[in-house]
Amino acid sequence: MRSSSLAKPMLAAPTRRRLRAFLLLLPSLIFLGAFTYWPVASVAVDSLFGRRLGEKVATFAGLGNYLRLAADPKFTTAVLNNLVYIAATVLPAIVLALGFALLLQRSTRFTATLRALLFFPTIIPLVGAAALWTFLFLPTVGLIDYYIGRLAPLSINWLGNPDTALASIAMVTVWKNAGYYMLFYIAALQAVPQDLIEAALLDGAGGWQRLRHVVLPLLAPTTAFVAVIAVIQAITTVDHVIVMTKGGPDDATNLLLFYIFQTATELHDSGKAAAATVATLVALFAVSTVGIRVLERGGRHVG
Amino acid sequence: MTALSRITLTAVGVATLLSASVAATAKTSIDFYFPVPVQGALAREMTRIVKEFNDASPDIEVVPAYTGSYDETRLKTQAAVEAGKPPAVTLMSANFVQEFVISGEIEAIDDLLTENGGDPKTFLDDFWPALRGNATASGKIYAIPFQNSTPLVYINVDHFKEAGLDPAKPPATWTELADAAKKLTKRDGDKITRYGFEMPGSYDYLGWLTQAFTMSNGGQFFNVSAPGEVYYDQPSTRGAVQFLHDLVFTHKVMPEGVIDPNQTSSDFFAGKASMVLLSTGSLSFIRNGAKSPYTVAFVPRNVRNAVPIGGASLIVFKGITPEQRKAAWKFVTYMTSAETLGSWSRFTGYFAPRKSSYDLPEMKAFVAEHPDALIAVKQLEFAQPWLSTYNVVAVRKAIEDQVQAVISGKKQADEAVRDAQKNADEILRPYNEKIAHVSGL
Amino acid sequence: MSVRASPTAIVAGAGAIGAIALLWSAPFLWMVVASLRPDSAGSLDIASLMPSWPPSWANFRLAWESADFLLNYWNTLMVVAGTLTVQLVTMSLAGYAFARLRFRGRDLIFYLFLLQLMIVPPVLIVPNLKTVTRLGIYDTLWGVMAPYWASAFGTFLMRQTFLGIPRDFEDAAEIDGCTLLQTLRYVLLPLAKPALIAFGIVSVVAHWNEFLWPLMVIDSPSHRTLTLGLASFVSSGEGDAEWGLIAAGTLIVSLPLFAGFIAFQRQFINSFVMSGIK
Repeated sequence: MRSSSLAKPMLAAPTRRRLRAFLLLLPSLIFLGAFTYWPVASVAVDSLFGRRLGEKVATFAGLGNYLRLAADPKFTTAVLNNLVYIAATVLPAIVLALGFALLLQRSTRFTATLRALLFFPTIIPLVGAAALWTFLFLPTVGLIDYYIGRLAPLSINWLGNPDTALASIAMVTVWKNAGYYMLFYIAALQAVPQDLIEAALLDGAGGWQRLRHVVLPLLAPTTAFVAVIAVIQAITTVDHVIVMTKGGPDDATNLLLFYIFQTATELHDSGKAAAATVATLVALFAVSTVGIRVLERGGRHVG
Repeated sequence: MTALSRITLTAVGVATLLSASVAATAKTSIDFYFPVPVQGALAREMTRIVKEFNDASPDIEVVPAYTGSYDETRLKTQAAVEAGKPPAVTLMSANFVQEFVISGEIEAIDDLLTENGGDPKTFLDDFWPALRGNATASGKIYAIPFQNSTPLVYINVDHFKEAGLDPAKPPATWTELADAAKKLTKRDGDKITRYGFEMPGSYDYLGWLTQAFTMSNGGQFFNVSAPGEVYYDQPSTRGAVQFLHDLVFTHKVMPEGVIDPNQTSSDFFAGKASMVLLSTGSLSFIRNGAKSPYTVAFVPRNVRNAVPIGGASLIVFKGITPEQRKAAWKFVTYMTSAETLGSWSRFTGYFAPRKSSYDLPEMKAFVAEHPDALIAVKQLEFAQPWLSTYNVVAVRKAIEDQVQAVISGKKQADEAVRDAQKNADEILRPYNEKIAHVSGL
Repeated sequence: MSVRASPTAIVAGAGAIGAIALLWSAPFLWMVVASLRPDSAGSLDIASLMPSWPPSWANFRLAWESADFLLNYWNTLMVVAGTLTVQLVTMSLAGYAFARLRFRGRDLIFYLFLLQLMIVPPVLIVPNLKTVTRLGIYDTLWGVMAPYWASAFGTFLMRQTFLGIPRDFEDAAEIDGCTLLQTLRYVLLPLAKPALIAFGIVSVVAHWNEFLWPLMVIDSPSHRTLTLGLASFVSSGEGDAEWGLIAAGTLIVSLPLFAGFIAFQRQFINSFVMSGIK
């Protein structure tokens, strides 16, 4: 007879099962509860109150914070910026990742080296990348302008010009993540017949068709997975904004999470920051739900 | 020596040792937050000064923590306060003091002074008058200035001579500045290879420099006695913003867009900018890094000579133990002695907040050897308080965002200052409507 | 289906991807070159990729002395190791529950888990800070780790992995008299090694590089992690950036990860493949 440390002969089987499941899930649930669910509830409640610098007590504001949020042009700017930023990071990153993976999916010493080089940006902390790219973006003396300046009489103020600032931040993100997504594609490509890939790559016009109609559909689940990660990342990572531009110039790089950060720490407007957080959570939830559904469908096809 | 006396001696020795070690472990430890870049020479010097104090004060241990830029220091300090673990002392940007006064989180220096035999009425007499506005609120002292600066124009002497200008007579008015810049700017076809004038456009710096131009145009950014009033939509401010716009787009002597402060100094060193507007705080850095002769000059006037002060002051927090409070006061007194302030000033290029620092022989010798330091101090005569209001960072950004838009060619000056005023008023509304009445400020 | 791949096509392809990789690495090239260059503040050629000769270690020495990198390394190692260890426990237990047990509300609770994939701690900074303070772990490494101890990604991964393992092994273990925990430890987890490695790598890299949350939680310099040390390194007070120094500092922080990746690249990619992350 097997001895189960969890066996309680007096309870019925389903209850025992439930108890076991509960105990197994308990550790995770404790931490999820403390650091995910309770905070979400807390933020939702906070969004209905308000406390400013100099006030000792929070006052009930009802939906006031949400109304002020909707009326705040900075918030609208942050949302729009974030949407543009999502497009500007997710699409190029996926295209590049796929391209790299297709070209490098065979494991030779050569490809292994190149893969490592492409993946390195992912390994360094974003603040490290931000430090590097701050230099790269310096007008005239920075790396980009220095070498471009040899070819054309240009001196672009990448981070200091509202027109180019957001694109520059996006560039950093793409540089950082393309190598990471490449790995997912490489893994997925292992399941695709080698000939198919080579034919797609080398056959010119015919290969292009093969790529689009055969290889890409096979990679659809990966693309969906990568897309979801990339979108979530684009909403929840603002380290580089904090270090490089602080939302500027003139709100050109103000993103949702940075807006929240700013509202909380510079404006000391806890109610509005909470309202913005709730809005962000709703957006994230929407993205994840769509993503999960797509993944489930994809998973059912392939797996 | 008899055996008994030897034993007694040993016993006494052991007892002394024990009591010393007990006393040593009873050190009061206080946290000291300050904004300097960790790798800079300033950080190393600050460490040295703190260590000197620790070595000389056996019962106190000051734990210094480098907390990044002025903004980051404010952030960290606020987070620590909210978490219930405030630092005892922080070196805080002078214009953030008001916020901490409103939030009620810092000690009035008045109280600490009277506790320790000082006189709040005369304490600030030894400090330059320009510094008092940012150090006080409602008649009480809340901060002790530690390092201060004003904007300063740095000039490349060789470029001046080359352009037929006299470096001994730097531009004194806005018109002269624009004219000189035009003569100094060099072009290679369509591309500008050397700018006549350059200044940083990043957050914090831009607001400060714009305030300087507004003041030299006869105005001021805010009401020093009322932290809820700013004057953005005024002719003086508008004129200043228009001048900046003209430098970029009409006279074409200043680079377009937001320039990073690092880049401004790099361009100056590399000869890509002939005149740059930076802080006196960069004096040592420029002095050590300049490869060709340079000189310094006042911020040019349009109506009058006037500049905002900059820099940082020491503040002491509530919520620390009485022992820590005593220790903090001792530390702050040491840090703000005429000698310490003088030596820090010589090292950094910031000017010493105490007048008496300049009476010390080391300082006199230093100033004689470095006339540029003297010019920086002379401009103090025209200095006034720095923008310091409720939610000052947001209020400051309200004008900065607009000016950034103007120098990037996205907006005209009129619209910019109007929008700045509108945004700032919105930010200040909760204060003016509710808090001003409550906190009695 | 056989493909004729002309040698020129192969060389051209290799050349193209090689050029791209070089461009991609240009920032790193610069970082290495600049860190070994003696102080060149004010020179117009700071961006030059041509190394200066002789190389100078001055920047590294200064960087090492200025910040407490050794301490930061230690803190980061503690954080990554501590986070991963607890994560492995929670996610294995939970993943098993979702994969093998049937209980009411299982799918609903699973979806609740998945929510955490997107509700990352930085978004919930303010309430999480309050929790951490109330628990008394503000300004400690525990405070940095705690929000991550439950991992939706890890649970999801374990569930997938366990679902893919035939029940024969567990049945055999049951017959042999193993308890649930023993089965997990001696039978299932070893079989799940590729997934565990893949997750370990993702977790280590993610927490090695974390910035915003540690920034808010940690106060004392003695508890700073590498990213915090680097950030305070980089931000300047009034604009005197010594780029060579900053490059050296960034290199110091990133080098172990580079080395680790180069050493374990094959395993890394293999584990991605075998764990079925598709």
